[in-house]
Amino acid sequence: VSTFSGLNAATTSLWAQRRALDVTGQNIANVNTEGYSRQRADLQAIGGSAVPAFYSKGTGIGGGVNADSVLRIRDAFLEGRGHTEHANSARLAEEGAALTLVEQAFREPGDTGVQSLLSEMWAGWEDVANNPKDPAARGQVLQRLDTLVDGINFSHSALGAQWEQSRDNLEVLVADVNAAAESIAKLNQAIQRATQSGLPANDLTDQRDVLVMKVAEQIGGTARPGKDGMMDVVVGGISLVAGSTATSFTVAGTLAADNTTADPVRIVTSTGGYAVTPGGTAQGQLTAMNQIIPGYRTNLDNLAVQLATTLNTAHTAGYDLAGNPGVDILDSSGGPISAASLRVAFSNTDLIAASKQAPVGGVPSLDNGNADEIAQLRQSMTGVDASYRTMIVELGVQAAVTERSLGIQQVITTQVDSARESVAGVNLDEEMTNMLAYQHAYSAAGRLVTAIDETLDVLINRTGVVGR
Amino acid sequence: VRITQRAVALTSLQGLNRNLDALGKLQQQLTSGRVINAPSDSPTGTNRAMQTRAEQAAVAQQARNIGDAGDWLGQTDSTLRLMLETTRRVRDLTVQGLNAGNGSDASRQAIATEVASLREGLIGLANTKIQGRPLFGGTTSGAEAYTSAGVWAGISGAPVTRRLAENEVVRVDITGPEVFGAAPDDLFAIVERIATDVVTDPSLLEGHLTDLDTTISGMLKGVADVGARAARIERVALINSDRSLALSSQLAETENIDLPNTIMKLQMQQVGYEAALSATAKALQPTLLDFLR
Repeated sequence: VSTFSGLNAATTSLWAQRRALDVTGQNIANVNTEGYSRQRADLQAIGGSAVPAFYSKGTGIGGGVNADSVLRIRDAFLEGRGHTEHANSARLAEEGAALTLVEQAFREPGDTGVQSLLSEMWAGWEDVANNPKDPAARGQVLQRLDTLVDGINFSHSALGAQWEQSRDNLEVLVADVNAAAESIAKLNQAIQRATQSGLPANDLTDQRDVLVMKVAEQIGGTARPGKDGMMDVVVGGISLVAGSTATSFTVAGTLAADNTTADPVRIVTSTGGYAVTPGGTAQGQLTAMNQIIPGYRTNLDNLAVQLATTLNTAHTAGYDLAGNPGVDILDSSGGPISAASLRVAFSNTDLIAASKQAPVGGVPSLDNGNADEIAQLRQSMTGVDASYRTMIVELGVQAAVTERSLGIQQVITTQVDSARESVAGVNLDEEMTNMLAYQHAYSAAGRLVTAIDETLDVLINRTGVVGR
Repeated sequence: VRITQRAVALTSLQGLNRNLDALGKLQQQLTSGRVINAPSDSPTGTNRAMQTRAEQAAVAQQARNIGDAGDWLGQTDSTLRLMLETTRRVRDLTVQGLNAGNGSDASRQAIATEVASLREGLIGLANTKIQGRPLFGGTTSGAEAYTSAGVWAGISGAPVTRRLAENEVVRVDITGPEVFGAAPDDLFAIVERIATDVVTDPSLLEGHLTDLDTTISGMLKGVADVGARAARIERVALINSDRSLALSSQLAETENIDLPNTIMKLQMQQVGYEAALSATAKALQPTLLDFLR
């Protein structure tokens, strides 16, 4: 054992404690940084020589401490959970938002929704029944019918506008994902180079993990650790980032809300056009565009057809003011009847077939039988009112269920987040305690140097002075 | 478990957000006065609210129908009473004509003239209109129920009806033949015969008087019939206004907030929110730094 080996051990300690203090400083500085993982100086004792040699035998005392590596503390399993749960949250939030917009398009329950327009229209027929001759009563029932048709047209086009908005949003989202994938690939490359040359890449890794989480939320990507600290990102079985290369996705499918059955909106790879099954926000948007919105548009179409069939059947069974048989009162502005093309067929109030009786001897009857019968259609258990109510209740149930699932999912996500944070986050108390420990260790190492210095002083300057 | 400052801050923030969200929801309920603002707030409540609204619209319309039916029957009643008075005067004159069987021609002529003019008045009354339609014309689209010659010009196929409730339809008209007798022995024909025969052949007046009495009793029956229907409508009107009130309170129960309850909840939520705020402020502040020197 060399005379100065104690001094050397103290020096390594001074150096290691300073490094540990530096790491503590970095942790404290980043206590509020999004995505920062706490770091720890990895202190390792330098052991004495354990291999016996012929002339040299160690005494078993080590040579000090080594603080070469700085560890980044993060739980890969919890990160994976975090990706999945964040994606689920984002998907449910998107679906919930879509359903809320659908609810707004129907404006129920209230005085402005289709239900109250229907009620007013039926009441209008009773006014005609009260006074079949009055042009005012006849005019107002046509007006109310027109308002009802406008209401149905409006709800339909509001849903269409919502669909187009979602389609635009999806394009933007996919562009955003592509940009993030590009950045992840670049960071992967930088991390690989740093790792290969033995440099710390902890902060680059943090930056990359934030991006991976963002991609997971947007499109439901899952991460797979690769070699040299790199990370691959896979979306629904298709690779988005592989090492230092990124592929890009694009949105395919119809541009018109009416065409989603034949050509649904979907996400595909830019080259090759392979279908991608996304999660996260993108999945929510696809569900809204391919199922939720088209579903309610179809419901509205069916409602329009039912209204037209019911009213036309009843109307053609009567006789108008001139004693002629009634004609269709609702028709289409082009193509088959749908919520978009529905319109009132005529504006001449005399054509309203209020009477049930055929003309007697050329004199038209002024009975109110048909108008009254039409007014009573509102009571039908299988009528338009009942169908519409059923649809609104279904919408309410669907929206409420999604909202509740989202609430539950958010609790789960927060729990996973706080679990991740409890592993990777910085605790100031802990850092303070560490700081104390390192500071004291530094002082102690310094004191050791002084002690050895004094020992040597005795040996060198005070010995051999006998008889001088 | 390792707890970090950031984890505490995150969970505190989420708790505060949830509190504020609940507070906002209560505030929205209080300011809009409604519990159900979207179908998802309560799907079954929405269904009930929509049904109640539809029923309210129907009941309001039925109230209008009832008022209208009352007008028709009231008008019919007063017209019939006026006509009865006139007919009684005709009867008096006929009795006079009988008694004056040996009177002067001039007085007979006077009776005949008065009866003839009364007949014109009767036809005028029988053509009384409501909403542009002759009262006694049935479902005719023509302008009058009786021609100036006293011939009925109406259509008697379907009755004129008003719907008073979902399943209750009442007839509001009464056709000419029903109340004035059928041709050729209706009121106007009899009166015309009286006017003619009082001058030409007074011996026939006895028979005409019997006919006239039959017609008068027919008209009285008509008045009674109309009165009975009016009474029925009055009863339905009461039921209708009761129903309207019941529906309003039903809708309010479904859709509107329970004010004391909601205000209580808001107060409690507010207390909770403030407590959470001050607790968060206290929990986030101290670190070991505060105690190290």
